[in-house]
Amino acid sequence: MSAVDAPAFFVSELRLVGRRRRNQAGLAVLAAVPIIIAVAMKVAAPSEGGSSEGPEFFGSITSNGYFVALAALAVEIQLLLPIAVATVAGDSVAGEANQGTLRYLLTVPVDRTRLLAVKFAAIVAGAFVATFTVASAGLLSGWALFGAGPVTLLSGSQAGVGESLLRLLAMCAYLTVCLSALGAIGLFVSTLTEQPMGATIAITIITVTSWVLGVVPQLDWLHPYLLTNSWTAFGELLRSPIAWEPLRTGLMSAAAYMLIFLSAAWARFTSADVTS
Amino acid sequence: MPPPATVAVIGGGAAIGTFAASADPSLPPRTAAQLLVDLQTARLDGLSGTVVQTSDLGLPSLPNLGGGSGAADVMSLVTGDNTLRVWYSGPDKVRVALMGTLGETDVIRNGSDVWLWESEANKATHSKLSGTEAGQRHAMPNGVPLTPQQAADQALAAIDPTTEVTTSGTANVAGRDAYELVLRPRDTASLVGQVRIAIDATEHVPLRFEVLAKDSDKAAFHVAFTQVDFDRPDDQQFEFNPPPGAKVEESTELTPQQEAQQGDKARDGGGVTTVGEGWTTVAVAKYDSAAAPSSEEAGAAGLLKALPEVSGAWGRGNLLTGTVFSVLITDDGRVLAGLVSPERLYEVAATKAGK
Repeated sequence: MSAVDAPAFFVSELRLVGRRRRNQAGLAVLAAVPIIIAVAMKVAAPSEGGSSEGPEFFGSITSNGYFVALAALAVEIQLLLPIAVATVAGDSVAGEANQGTLRYLLTVPVDRTRLLAVKFAAIVAGAFVATFTVASAGLLSGWALFGAGPVTLLSGSQAGVGESLLRLLAMCAYLTVCLSALGAIGLFVSTLTEQPMGATIAITIITVTSWVLGVVPQLDWLHPYLLTNSWTAFGELLRSPIAWEPLRTGLMSAAAYMLIFLSAAWARFTSADVTS
Repeated sequence: MPPPATVAVIGGGAAIGTFAASADPSLPPRTAAQLLVDLQTARLDGLSGTVVQTSDLGLPSLPNLGGGSGAADVMSLVTGDNTLRVWYSGPDKVRVALMGTLGETDVIRNGSDVWLWESEANKATHSKLSGTEAGQRHAMPNGVPLTPQQAADQALAAIDPTTEVTTSGTANVAGRDAYELVLRPRDTASLVGQVRIAIDATEHVPLRFEVLAKDSDKAAFHVAFTQVDFDRPDDQQFEFNPPPGAKVEESTELTPQQEAQQGDKARDGGGVTTVGEGWTTVAVAKYDSAAAPSSEEAGAAGLLKALPEVSGAWGRGNLLTGTVFSVLITDDGRVLAGLVSPERLYEVAATKAGK
């Protein structure tokens, strides 16, 4: 069996992902978006009363900084967060193969199943760090510019600061699971190629295609099966009482995607010839 | 390569939660008449659940009349799919929430207070019901039935000798056993093929309501519980205090009921007459084509122009056809509508009664 124990392997994998310059830069970009939103809303200072102009949650930002985090999540889940996950996932196996380190890793020796598990765990961790970064950058910049306070939920009732933070954390967790499903697809694609950038682009294309198909009304029979279909359901956590049904559907869908693509990645990776 | 079998799981797995098992439960048989009595004598203490409403009325797709993609506005009830959450604790404690992707519209009735909350506009509208109205049922402002109960009430009110009432056995809705009541127009000129109402076997409450067009097995209008709980919801559910920062409007005269009544009066003034009876009734209304159009009317006129033009012995006009109804708007200021084919509308338009 393995000469390396799993926690140490996982920590070294996290260090590998975290040390990559492009991952650090990507995280900075993710954090910049909410700050830009907050500053732009502050400078523009729209009229009193919170108009419903602009994308979701933007109208509420001036009354409570909390909504910067929500607006940022709603904007970035469309493309930036999936790209972040695609970068990490695409790099996971293909990157090692590309640099020629995969061969050495496997001669350590490391069990291939365990290697794949650690790679996926790192992707999940990366997805959470990315989502959490967006939320906390939004929260901090929002609070700094617009102040904190009880949050008005979608149902019109109010939640205290502590409860609203818990809800935000739950949203991050939900989006992490959603993005991990994308990460599972990414891990599979990454085992097919030695070009990490190719894998990243493929995963991004899958995301964009899924969003596009999701807005074509003629394809509504397909919508429940789309990867991105339940991603915006994180807003359900802002209702009172919370609507669990759509969230459960989203988690089930993500679990189904993970099951399929992780087994596909496993089937591919454990039987592939690693030559580089 | 991956075993192809795993790929097949993708659909099944992703669809968990969207489909419920629908095996026919075995229930003691009950006649249609018994079911009608059940419906009328049902005493509901409380209920909470999720309702999904879909319309496939075969309408031309309307241009988006304002609101973002996630807008939970009342207009959206007429087209497409909607999810609603419903809480009921006696007729004076009702809450219905129309869910948008990232928004919500709530109608909350608590005693004599009625609140309309629109999250996207950050606006709360309050109205107070007077004693006489207190017993009336609450609906969204446009009168579209929101719950299977409301829809069924409207359909049952229409039962008369022109309707054939049967039962088609049992069904399973939202995980509960139900009987299914089928209403069929005897008059074959109607575009409506049948109306199906699934009634909970123990609580006698409608769980699903469907309107099927003639020669179609796909519902043109469908409203059903996907999840239902017959425990009385917490009183807290019906308390609404407008959040700080929200626009609050006090409405003195515009409770939805009154609005509807006003609308009725306006239509009476405009002279709504009906031709025929039962399922093939055609409503004929006159509108003042000479009146100066407001901006809204101008927009409506633009929509009108998009409808196909028709003409005949009765004159000329524009025709709107759906799967279960037709509307004819003539150039000389008449509107004819009914659950009938366009040909029947032309017939009526040509008669004296339709003038």
